[in-house]
Amino acid sequence: MVRIKNRYIAVQIVPQTATRTLRLNDNTLTKCLLENVGKHYGVYGLGLLEQGFRVKYCNERTKIAIIRCLHRGQQYVSSILPLITLIGDVRAKFRTLYVGATIIQCNKFIIKHQKEFLDKMMGQLESAKERQDLLKSVMDFDMDR
Amino acid sequence: MELTKPFYDFCIPFNKDDKIMRAILKELVELGYKTIAIDQSFDHSKKEAGKRGSEMFPEPHAIEHLRKEFNDKLKILQRITILYVDVNVSHAMSVSLNLRKFNIIAGQPKTDAALTHCCTTFNGDIVTFDPLAGSRLLVNRKAYQVGVRRGLYFEIKYSPAIADSNNRKDMIKIAQNYCTKGKSKNIIFSSGALDDFQLRGPYDVANLAFIFGLSEDQGKNAINRNCRQLFLRAESRRLGKTIMFVKSHGPIVFSDTSEEEMSEGDVEINNVNENDQTKPNKRLKLG
Repeated sequence: MVRIKNRYIAVQIVPQTATRTLRLNDNTLTKCLLENVGKHYGVYGLGLLEQGFRVKYCNERTKIAIIRCLHRGQQYVSSILPLITLIGDVRAKFRTLYVGATIIQCNKFIIKHQKEFLDKMMGQLESAKERQDLLKSVMDFDMDR
Repeated sequence: MELTKPFYDFCIPFNKDDKIMRAILKELVELGYKTIAIDQSFDHSKKEAGKRGSEMFPEPHAIEHLRKEFNDKLKILQRITILYVDVNVSHAMSVSLNLRKFNIIAGQPKTDAALTHCCTTFNGDIVTFDPLAGSRLLVNRKAYQVGVRRGLYFEIKYSPAIADSNNRKDMIKIAQNYCTKGKSKNIIFSSGALDDFQLRGPYDVANLAFIFGLSEDQGKNAINRNCRQLFLRAESRRLGKTIMFVKSHGPIVFSDTSEEEMSEGDVEINNVNENDQTKPNKRLKLG
């Protein structure tokens, strides 16, 4: 059997001014990405990408998303990510964290990444309750969507 | 040999406001850059040609406090970008003392003749271009290949491409021109970012190689290996012919095959070589 090769791109969304949430969901992100692909690569790029393109996971609080696309069209997505400055109606930029071939590897990487982030932040907080809250908000995954 | 670590960003424009400068540097650390250069541009054509022999180039900006603050996180170099129209600049460059205080020298030609001169005889390290009016100047094949053979590097700035879509088209045009004229040899990417929002992570920048007509490998080299080569070249130009001075720590076991000569050098280079001091010892012990 021939396997369909996908690529999963884990990205972090960095807004220009720090905010708690981004008012984002899968749909707005997909729309924004496809719009930009259309802008830069035209109809050809869209035709290449649209099949199999999906935002698999999008977390508002940790601002991390996973984009799935076909292996053939991966370059078309990854090369426009740095050029995007407006996501939905928020001024923000993408930061590519990881590109993996399976979603499990992506998940592993994100957990590792979040743990590192947690280690850095924990030292700055004082009360135990704040720490609990941070732990909860940072390590909050729901991959079964 | 002075140690530098990847990744490199050789164009951070200098900003008088310390707060913005700090924000940019902090973002750079966050994104994983290790070696950066603070850029200072100088318009040679505006100066009147009458004054010969006097110092034309400005002193480098004082950034000691920033260096101290980011001591272990970032290696901060200084770079000057010289805008010029005619070949008189080479004379001014050869007599200038201030120019030696900069780590890297970049040339930004304004006319076609200057561009050809820049590639063939310019005594610098980087050829760059004006992002706003750059697309009118395109390098020709001969000059480009001479430049490559001389070890010059050609710079592509990505932050104008992010800010404005017209600039983006020009940028791609210039980059693709390098691709058609000579397979995109000796290309480096740098940011030229005016604020921290225009900065992108090193891997994002490497991905931009796709639209600039470079292969994946070339894209990664453009922020890593090429920059290292460029740095070494710039350093060797700055120091000129030098004598190495190797100092030993601890006992040395001399073997029959290796001959070590101790020669004295000037004091200026000593601190440069500090990093390599341990290496010869190790080799000796093994032998």
